[in-house]
Amino acid sequence: MITVLKNAKVIDPAHGKDGVVQDIYIRDGRIIAKPADSEKIAQVYDLNGKIVMAGAIDMHSHIGGGKVNIARMLLPEYQAMRKLEEPEAHICGANCSHHATPNTTDTGMRYIEMGYTAAFEPAVLAVNARQAHMEMGDTPMIDKGGYAMLGNDDYLLRLLSQNADQKTINDYVAWTLHATQTIGIKVVNPGGISAFKFNERRQDLDQLHSYYNITPRRILQALSRAVNEIGIAKPLHVHCNNLGVAGNFQTTLDTMGASDGIPMHLTHIQFHSYGTEGDKRFSSAAANIAEAINNNKHITADVGQILFGQTVTASGDNMMQHLNAKVANPKKSVIMDIECDAGCGVVPFKYRDQNYVNALQWAIGLEVFLSVDDPWRIFLTTDHPNGAPFTSYPHLIRLLMDKTFRNDAFDKLNLDAQAMSNLKSLEREYSLYEIATMTRSAPAKLIGLHDRGHLGVGAAADITVYTDQADKEAMFAKPDLVFKDGELVVKEGKVVKVVWGATHTAKPAFDLGVEKDIKQYFDRYHTMQMHNFKISDDQIAEDGRNHVINHSQG
Amino acid sequence: MTNQQNSMHACPACGLLCDDISGEAIAKQQFSCGKAAKFYARTSNGAQPRVAGQPVSLTQAVHAAVELLKQAKTPLIAGSSTDVHGARALVSLSHHTHAAMTHLNASSTLRNMQVLQHRGWQTTTLTEVRNRADVILMIGTDVVSHNTRFFERVVWVPEAMFTAPAARKIIYLGGDDLNTKPGVSPDGRAPEVIPCASEQLPEVVATLRALVMGKPVTAETVAGVDVSRLRTVAETLKAAKYATLVWVSKDLHYAHAELTIENITETVVALNQKSRAMGLSLGGSDGDTSVNYAHTWLNGVIIDTPDWESHDAVVWVNSYSPDAMPPAGTKPVIVLGAADSQFEETLAVFIPVATPGLDCNGQQFRVDGSVTLPLSAAKPSDLPTLSQVIAMIETELKGVAA
Repeated sequence: MITVLKNAKVIDPAHGKDGVVQDIYIRDGRIIAKPADSEKIAQVYDLNGKIVMAGAIDMHSHIGGGKVNIARMLLPEYQAMRKLEEPEAHICGANCSHHATPNTTDTGMRYIEMGYTAAFEPAVLAVNARQAHMEMGDTPMIDKGGYAMLGNDDYLLRLLSQNADQKTINDYVAWTLHATQTIGIKVVNPGGISAFKFNERRQDLDQLHSYYNITPRRILQALSRAVNEIGIAKPLHVHCNNLGVAGNFQTTLDTMGASDGIPMHLTHIQFHSYGTEGDKRFSSAAANIAEAINNNKHITADVGQILFGQTVTASGDNMMQHLNAKVANPKKSVIMDIECDAGCGVVPFKYRDQNYVNALQWAIGLEVFLSVDDPWRIFLTTDHPNGAPFTSYPHLIRLLMDKTFRNDAFDKLNLDAQAMSNLKSLEREYSLYEIATMTRSAPAKLIGLHDRGHLGVGAAADITVYTDQADKEAMFAKPDLVFKDGELVVKEGKVVKVVWGATHTAKPAFDLGVEKDIKQYFDRYHTMQMHNFKISDDQIAEDGRNHVINHSQG
Repeated sequence: MTNQQNSMHACPACGLLCDDISGEAIAKQQFSCGKAAKFYARTSNGAQPRVAGQPVSLTQAVHAAVELLKQAKTPLIAGSSTDVHGARALVSLSHHTHAAMTHLNASSTLRNMQVLQHRGWQTTTLTEVRNRADVILMIGTDVVSHNTRFFERVVWVPEAMFTAPAARKIIYLGGDDLNTKPGVSPDGRAPEVIPCASEQLPEVVATLRALVMGKPVTAETVAGVDVSRLRTVAETLKAAKYATLVWVSKDLHYAHAELTIENITETVVALNQKSRAMGLSLGGSDGDTSVNYAHTWLNGVIIDTPDWESHDAVVWVNSYSPDAMPPAGTKPVIVLGAADSQFEETLAVFIPVATPGLDCNGQQFRVDGSVTLPLSAAKPSDLPTLSQVIAMIETELKGVAA
């Protein structure tokens, strides 16, 4: 059966198309070349000048795993009831939690309604990966995937402290990708989460870990090299040391150099772009950070924009979250040490435009967005739910595309914060092509989803259709149509069919001999056996809704 | 990489999910844990669906259940003793029937959840305790009544990464008739035991928190306990490299026990200002953690306690515990349960379902909430899984499969 989308105004940066009017043909969930005239066309959608992009991909969004579920449990005051319509009502109850901590059904529904067809959980604790996949498996409509956290797991720190060779580290990293069914590797506050367990309260880039006698820089070097050498697409995903600390921009700049030129992705960089200037000893270092990104072609970053309102922060960085818990709002938090593998910290936050620090954080994120030249290397995220819920993306897109709208918002900020920001001097307005780059083509390329994020022949038919409007927030909040794997699933901003998506993974080759030592480690120190740590394809698929798509090459 | 065929099973008889149970041990019934022995001794032979006590086919039983559910205005799904897959199915059934849902351990789970939702907490997991804890304070519990192999698998282990296991200091605070023998170290060192009655724990724990926080305490005794002893405990906790404060919510069954739990967790928070300490909530059975967690991510809210009076039909699920019963007099009851269930009253409908980890595979949360383990069928049977039975019910209810 062939479906054709006629007269589509295609914006597809992967193929350099910016408003090219063409027909798109779909068969069996894939985009195909124009079929022969003799082939029967089963369905025709005449789009007549509508904007057509690939489905959007959120490359960093906390949608599954222990910390998110703790956040749901932690905040009953935000729970509400709502009236659902079919088909959503068929799979979801009337309860929903705060928009920062939606349930799994809500997560999938709200993403697809905005034209997003995939989202990646960036902080999968390896030992908690099974839960993360369970939650993602219960998230309908979109594709999912995760980045496994390494760099605070005692096994790796032990290897590094013993000067293990790089091959051993590479094999362990590849083994972890297999075992956890993830597509990338993340490091959070390298060494810091572990150091906190030894009662250290800060870990700087070149500070020796009090027990293992290695530095975060060494961890970054080893992991970025491993990720590069095992041949997966996704560069090491780095949450730098000193998140949220005034003056941390220097740590961030130094971190860019820690991979010795190997590709490295710095995540939620807004939280790592702070200076110490001014009376309040808190200032924007966005210009320094943006300049460094522009000059260091091996670096990519996502922003982690904050937007004002109530949210909850959920991070693996329990060292810094323990400090942040003092300013929790509401005043409660969950801090955990987990299995000599990782940690987590869940702290509610309310960002306010009249709070100096919050207002400046808002401006810093936008300054970074507008000062990084290349939309292929800067990604649109709010670090959901940490900076703001993912449902605020249309608002964020308008802030980037509409200078007047942005400046009007800026004028309402805390006056001291306004005085410390150069945001109003930044004239740039993102184009639709640049938005499509940062939300489609670039994340697909970064993660290694070769058949997603573009509209070329052979791509999965994840397609979003918009009506161009002056109000870009309205435009991106409610696409006309969304196709998931070739099926029409959203019409006029409402879900019309429930589908379940897939789980994307990377499984590079490695020497299985590494398991001998890992097993011995589990047997000596863990409270579970190694084979139970590993998740098989059929365990992800066993409820019949999910399947694994492996993106390894070779 | 696929999982190698594995002859070891994770045991769901308690919240520890010990995953070193060999097929040989099961065949020979050789266990160091009575709960495991009882669980693996169970048999599903001859189980058959029944309606009003009479044997029927599975289709007939499903039909009878559907008829009752169609008539019910306010059904309740209770017991809910199952794994994550079962929990998903129960949540789905609750959506299709507009039923409320609870778990047989909901009241003790809620004690913890109330603390989490009021103040949050700082907690740890079994492997952290195994490798780091140098002081373990058990409050109002001996743990082993619930988690038999806790000391064997977590405390008196042959080696640990960051501490000397045999040198651990074990302290029991409060509780009546605790079995403190497992707290004796391998070289015969006795644990410190500070006895007091359970109902006096609130005062004692509040005093310990005050002492840890450096608040002035002028009394010499609190609820019969010498404050000087508590002061020593406070100093021991503060001096520890990784103190672990353990409680079992089920053992704190007195009015407003959540306040005692909060005093425990806030003691941990106070300790963490300068040193390291963590809380560890133990117990866990009948898949309570799994059901609460899955219910939360699917519905956005935690499991609640039921108001039995307001429901006109009950779906009771007891996959793990054949002797778990709904309150006497609850009618009509549809039981989707363990094959060897023993009910005194005649049930409206009984449909035997597979027990995860015994008859079928499954996935379950361990008591510490961060680790999930696959359950493998130790004695595979032909019984339908809970998910399969519920799918049949839903198909007949709505004419559409879930």
